[in-house]
Amino acid sequence: MIETSTAEVPLMIEGKATASQGQGYWQGVARRLSRDKTTIAFGVVLLLTFAAILFAPLLAPYDPYQNDMLHRLAPIGFEHHPLGTDELGRDLLTRLLYGGRLSWFLGITPVLIAFMLGGLLGVIAGFAGGSVNMMIMRVTDVFFAFPSVLLAVAISGALGAGIFNAILSLTLVFIAPMIRVAETATTSVRELDYVEAARASGAGSFTIVRVHVLPNVLGPIFAYATSLISVSMILAAGLSFLGLGTKPPDPEWGLVLNTLRSAIYTQPLITMLPGVCIFVTSICFNMVSDGLRAAMDVRS
Amino acid sequence: MLLDHADIEKTPSVIIYLLRRVFYVVPIALAVSLVCFMLVHIAPGDPINAILPPDAPQELVIQVKHEYGLDKPLPVQFGMWLLHVLHGDLGRSLATGQPVWEELSVAVVNTFRLAVVAALLGFTLGSVFGGVAAAWRGTWIDRCLVGVAVTGVSVPHYWLGMVLVVIFGVELNVLPAMGAGPGGSSDWSWDWEHFQYLVLPSVTLAMIPMGIITRTVRGIVIEILGQDFITTLRGKGMLPRSLFIHVLKNAAPNASAVMGLQLGYLMGGSILVETVFSWPGTGFLLNNAIFQRDIPVLQGTILLLALFFVVLNLMVDLLQTALDPRIKRA
Amino acid sequence: MNIRRFGLALALAGSLLSLSAAQAGETLRIAMTAADIPTTTGMPNNGWEGMRFLGYPIFEGLILWDLTHADRLATLRPGLAQSWEQAPGDPKTWIFHLRHGVKFHDGTDFNADAVIWNLDRYFKNDSPQFEAGGSGITRSRVPLLASYKKIDDSTVALTTTRPASYFPSMVVYVLFTSPASFEKAAHDWGRVATLPAAGTGPFRIAQVVPHQSVRLTRWDGYWDAGRKAKVDSVLLLPVPEANTRLAALRSGQADWIEVPPPDGIPSLKAAGFTISTNSYPHVWPWFYNMGAANSPFKDVRVRQALNYCIDRAALVSMLNGTAEPAIGWLKPNDPAFGKPLNRYGFDPAKGKALLAAAGYGAQKPLSFKVMISPAGSGQMVPLPMNELLQQNLKQACGVDVTFDVAEWNVLMNAGRLLPDSPGLHGAMALNVSSPTTDIGTMARFFAAANFSPTGNNFEHWNDAQFEAALDTAANATDPAAMQAAYRAAHERLVDDPPWLYIVHDLNPRALSKKVHGLVAAQSWFIDLTLISLQ
Repeated sequence: MIETSTAEVPLMIEGKATASQGQGYWQGVARRLSRDKTTIAFGVVLLLTFAAILFAPLLAPYDPYQNDMLHRLAPIGFEHHPLGTDELGRDLLTRLLYGGRLSWFLGITPVLIAFMLGGLLGVIAGFAGGSVNMMIMRVTDVFFAFPSVLLAVAISGALGAGIFNAILSLTLVFIAPMIRVAETATTSVRELDYVEAARASGAGSFTIVRVHVLPNVLGPIFAYATSLISVSMILAAGLSFLGLGTKPPDPEWGLVLNTLRSAIYTQPLITMLPGVCIFVTSICFNMVSDGLRAAMDVRS
Repeated sequence: MLLDHADIEKTPSVIIYLLRRVFYVVPIALAVSLVCFMLVHIAPGDPINAILPPDAPQELVIQVKHEYGLDKPLPVQFGMWLLHVLHGDLGRSLATGQPVWEELSVAVVNTFRLAVVAALLGFTLGSVFGGVAAAWRGTWIDRCLVGVAVTGVSVPHYWLGMVLVVIFGVELNVLPAMGAGPGGSSDWSWDWEHFQYLVLPSVTLAMIPMGIITRTVRGIVIEILGQDFITTLRGKGMLPRSLFIHVLKNAAPNASAVMGLQLGYLMGGSILVETVFSWPGTGFLLNNAIFQRDIPVLQGTILLLALFFVVLNLMVDLLQTALDPRIKRA
Repeated sequence: MNIRRFGLALALAGSLLSLSAAQAGETLRIAMTAADIPTTTGMPNNGWEGMRFLGYPIFEGLILWDLTHADRLATLRPGLAQSWEQAPGDPKTWIFHLRHGVKFHDGTDFNADAVIWNLDRYFKNDSPQFEAGGSGITRSRVPLLASYKKIDDSTVALTTTRPASYFPSMVVYVLFTSPASFEKAAHDWGRVATLPAAGTGPFRIAQVVPHQSVRLTRWDGYWDAGRKAKVDSVLLLPVPEANTRLAALRSGQADWIEVPPPDGIPSLKAAGFTISTNSYPHVWPWFYNMGAANSPFKDVRVRQALNYCIDRAALVSMLNGTAEPAIGWLKPNDPAFGKPLNRYGFDPAKGKALLAAAGYGAQKPLSFKVMISPAGSGQMVPLPMNELLQQNLKQACGVDVTFDVAEWNVLMNAGRLLPDSPGLHGAMALNVSSPTTDIGTMARFFAAANFSPTGNNFEHWNDAQFEAALDTAANATDPAAMQAAYRAAHERLVDDPPWLYIVHDLNPRALSKKVHGLVAAQSWFIDLTLISLQ
């Protein structure tokens, strides 16, 4: 899933690096974003979803673990249960609100950790060059040798089910591409004239990285990272689907999707709900990430 | 994209870079096999369970462990396995006693068949959608197609597969719900009787590549169309058909690189789709092996898939670097 | 005249066509819950489902099951041995008189040499035909076998470690493969699996496609002429996903599926499919870890309390009738159930009172971890079922239960660990199903001599009265005395419960209307020879 996105990065970096860094650039980005109505619309939906799951304890009418066997698999619009109930009679609206917290957590955390760790390693590799670069990149290549889904399943299969193990395996899956993206970005910036000039003028490496490199590469790396969030969410749900991710009775969307499957012949509409949640969130993250990249791409 | 004079001067270092990359395949392959081995052995649960039931008598357990070398320290086990692999022997499945190589070759062919059909579907649709979206950029056509593309990568595809099975298999009864061929076997011939088993799984699997290729091709084509000399050529009255061929030639390198990588994803990432459809490919084999702790099968399959991916990555990298040396790495 | 002749010809043609249609090589396609094909060498893995489909239909033993009655518990009947008895004066030795004129599917003779050869495969570690997998499985089912020998070409003697009247109910699990199969495969059991291997049963294996299917065909040379199969062939498919099985049935890819998802049952019935269930003791329990150092279950009151705290009817209703309440190891209407003092049911007041007497209450709630699996042979639908129990116990009796979800093999293995083993992850109960019930199995699971790790008594349960009853049963020669002792033993299992008895699995299967003749015997196994397709 993530294998191709890295190929798009050089196109992005090129455009970015030819422009001068500084306030003008970021103001330009903000301006372009503010005119991009589609991205704003999806961003708003994303924020609303985030608010909903953040305030889940206030919004949810029930306890997500409270079951009610008399009313299991109730349809949408059932009294007191606007979105129906699941196979144990738990209110689906509540389960989805609380489940969103887990799904977002599993979507964002691995990407965040990979962004920080992978970004750091990639920038170091890109800036230092030589043997340091070689060491880091070759180890990355080993992890790159595994297709993402395979790696996630293999690591989770080895470690067992559970949120912590899922985060660990997903982080390991995303670190390799993050390192590579960060390294590519840093390498292209490193060659630039003003960076050479800064070096010639005797500035220390740390200063150069902080002042010249980071502002230039942070943008593209961040934009790439946001595109990984939806992948992470879908992969996490996929792990739960295989029995390797979240453990019951936690209401993560992927797990709810999995357990509701057998109700597809009795209450097909409610079985769609967790899938719809994953879908909507993914689309929003993807569209916002796209908008960010487009805004940062000066040439278009 | 096209080499110019300045780039040709850089060629020697490019060649050195390429040679170095090829050379690195060996240690990478070694490291990959080590990672496979470690992954498989961190797993909780005893590999002996693939052979013996949990209530087998203790002396039997000791005897079997010894026969399979499971009582030796891990580095020794790894060394022995590696030695066998170098001789082309992937060992025997603990669960079935069949040589791993035989099981793998059947599974690989099944997955390859599925991956290729899904790739053809995804790449064709993706290229068409991407090209059209770029050509009609900014219009509702563009927005529609981009929407389709984003949907492709945002939908949990295994869930979509289940929905398709319910619609087409159960309710409408026009397509089979599972398996790779009639009569419970994946013996193949290209007739409808066999092909109908491919339809739903390949459509499901093609969703993500379709989405990714659409966006990639769109981006590439937009960039090409935006180049100054295109405007010039258009001004000079170049025919749309020659323009189309020109775009195709220039988009091909990067687009093919992306498609190549996507093929790798399809080969290795089909585990979820294969589970939903009981498609007897490498993903299905892996899923079983993980839960049965069938270590030789696990190690052999992961190694093979990873090596395939390493070689694929390498070829894509070589292609990209040869065509665009500006993307240079240390 | 012409019209009449024409009509006659038409009618004749019609009847010939329909006749040929009925005989037209119909294949019975069965979707099993196994994730992979059970081993096809004569001693299948994958638990009882393996035995059901890749065991008895193809490979037989000295003793077989009578699976032709739905109204009573399945009993034993003569198989490849036409009679057997304990040796006079030596109750540990059993003499089996083999049937004459039986041939394996490959044409070789079945005789005492074949029996000894097969027993060596399972019990003699250094024999050339020793097969580890089959040995492990058989030894755990027949733990009492001490030695065996050939007396003559049609008589063998099996000797047990101690007298056990129920030994025949263990012998039924030993199946025989043709020694010639092993020779043909150049002494490689891996190759025997795909040869295919030859047995003596009413079906023979025609083709094995690893990981995908096994095709069986009717064996017309079967020794029991009256029990020949009706269908021409059977196609066995491993389909571990319950929803995929359901889809396969509804899309016409299978005629018979094992264990449909309970929630899909109403829609199956509505679509015209038949759901077959049968009532036999197949307990889905929690094993109490009584032996652990800090186990709350050392106190019998706690063990009884939980049996009063669960609402079995609610669970049954959630499962759409594919289970029934279990209040003992056997079913309440079983003649051997006995009259225990405790009649379990949903009585939270009584449960809480017992817990209070044991020192648990609102100030000190009972809290423990249970190891469960997400799936597995005989485990039914463990996740929703256990979640329901968790809620139930909390609401009814204030008991806090947490789960350790482990993969099925790990859970099975846990049943053989010591009570304080780290492999248990601190679990105080295991959710492992118990598939058959006869005195032999009762001894294996509950006798004090069979504590884990050497035996199946995970709970380390030791009840003096039970031991006495078991001993009586083992040494009894009179069936009435055996039954009385069995009853007494069962009463102890109820009153001093080593398990939380939850439900009996009714082992549902769903069939298309084409399938006829199915007798849902009161057993884990089924007689495929009775099935016909229309």
